[in-house]
Amino acid sequence: MDFIIEGIHKAFQLIFTLDSEIFNIVLLSLRVSLTAVILASLLGVYLGFLMAVKDYWGKRFSVALVNTLLALPTVVIGLIVYSLISRRGPLGIFELLYTPSAMIIGQFILAVPIIIALTHSAVQGIDKRVRNTALTLGATEAQSAWMVIKEARYAVLAAVITGFGRVIAEVGAAMMLGGNIKGSTRVMTTAIALESTKGEFGFAIALGIILLFVAFSINILLHYFQSKRV
Amino acid sequence: MDKLIFKVRDLKKVYNNKIVLDVDNLNFQEGKIYAIVGPNGSGKTTLLNILNLLEKPDEGQIFFYDQEITNKSNSDTLEIRRKITLVNQDPFLFHSTVYDNIAYGLKIRSIPPKVQKSRIRSALNIVGLSGFKNRKADQLSGGEAQRVVIARALVIEPEILFLDEPTTSIDQKHIDVVERVIKKIKKEIKATVIFTTHDLSQAYRLADEVISLLDGKIIKQVPENLLRGEIIEEEDNLKWFKTAGNIKFAIVSEKVGLAYISIDPRDIILSYEQFQSSARNSFLGKIAKIIEQNHLVKLEIDIGIPLVVIITRESFFKMNLNLGSKVYLTFKASAVKLY
Repeated sequence: MDFIIEGIHKAFQLIFTLDSEIFNIVLLSLRVSLTAVILASLLGVYLGFLMAVKDYWGKRFSVALVNTLLALPTVVIGLIVYSLISRRGPLGIFELLYTPSAMIIGQFILAVPIIIALTHSAVQGIDKRVRNTALTLGATEAQSAWMVIKEARYAVLAAVITGFGRVIAEVGAAMMLGGNIKGSTRVMTTAIALESTKGEFGFAIALGIILLFVAFSINILLHYFQSKRV
Repeated sequence: MDKLIFKVRDLKKVYNNKIVLDVDNLNFQEGKIYAIVGPNGSGKTTLLNILNLLEKPDEGQIFFYDQEITNKSNSDTLEIRRKITLVNQDPFLFHSTVYDNIAYGLKIRSIPPKVQKSRIRSALNIVGLSGFKNRKADQLSGGEAQRVVIARALVIEPEILFLDEPTTSIDQKHIDVVERVIKKIKKEIKATVIFTTHDLSQAYRLADEVISLLDGKIIKQVPENLLRGEIIEEEDNLKWFKTAGNIKFAIVSEKVGLAYISIDPRDIILSYEQFQSSARNSFLGKIAKIIEQNHLVKLEIDIGIPLVVIITRESFFKMNLNLGSKVYLTFKASAVKLY
């Protein structure tokens, strides 16, 4: 029992003294996950919007496919991306394996289906009169589309935040693609996994607390946006 | 001669194999106010949506001035779409402030913010909502929302303003404002106004020209007492027209099923007591409205549904009729015109 209490004690010490190693790991985590989510949002919001407003062949299939991809295990993403970017893979020449970029790619793939699916349902829930109203006021197609997204803004933001919550907390892809290299690709989740097996409980618990805090903040934000009228 | 702003030729629109609009020839002149009247389901909204380029016709052509605009894409018609606008029957306000809503049409036209501000101020003035600039759209009453939507349309200074049933779902106070605004638009902004309504007297009060639609077709004269219902046959082989409120009129008809009828208000006889006659239709009603028109008096009588009756001034005074007076309405089955 003592080692847990000691660990928690140590953890708070590390957090309140702003330990530089912990600080750097947190910063890297945020940098990787935010980059991945911003890129995923650009693609995901666009595709989710198109899926909601356009009629095209195979629409139902694509919706089912995206929903299936929501359940994609992170280690499978890790495996696929690993095989593509490892030295022998087709993208091997870029030497991306074990870099933050590799982790961003993995997390991007993880976040895109989430953002597409949630944007899709957000835009579907928007009043059909929005587009017509914009058009009758003289909007171009692009301007009317932007108005629809704007009307769905809270739900779309919630989609992006949900995506971020998913990627900041994942460990499989980050471990396989980043390699958990100290000072280079070690993020919160991979550090917790390593440090606890090493017996460095204080360090692991400190990161765990911060990760929980991030998750908690994300959920507060999410609740805030979901409670807003769409 | 005034210029034609819209021309419609051989227009047809079909929904589910049913022709909902069938208009051979229809012209709209610049600067006039037009009312399109007709009962629900007569094709008014469809016609408006087609003229607004929100829907495409299945057949026929539409011209804006002399330019054909049928079946063009939204980007091809952008310039024309920016000269016309529609105020919807069931208006939608974006989830922002009144100001932002009204500013939308100006923003997408890249109008400088200073000009925006002054135009929005005067549009709010016209609809009588000067203090509402910073209100949130979802805090407005139905009538206020309707007026904001009109301001949002006026601010872009359209050449043609379409209004779909602008006064249907709002109360009298707002109706008066909206009617005043429509008159003002013609006088001050000199735009062409085309609005739909099912209130005939409103149509005549406001419009230079009244276009009447029935079952998707334009009919020459606007009949009073136009009703939609079902013709049924009873055991005695007599035909009856059943309409709202379970009211039945004896009619002369070969067919059964859904139909429109009208009753000429001059063919209805008023009396204080029911009398024996060959006329098969007799109803007790209460006078709900009295409108004097030169040597005639137009009465709206509630028999469960409102019926309009026109009598001479002499008869009106001789019978000593008042609001709320109970009278019998009598008319022959052959006075019911079938469409």
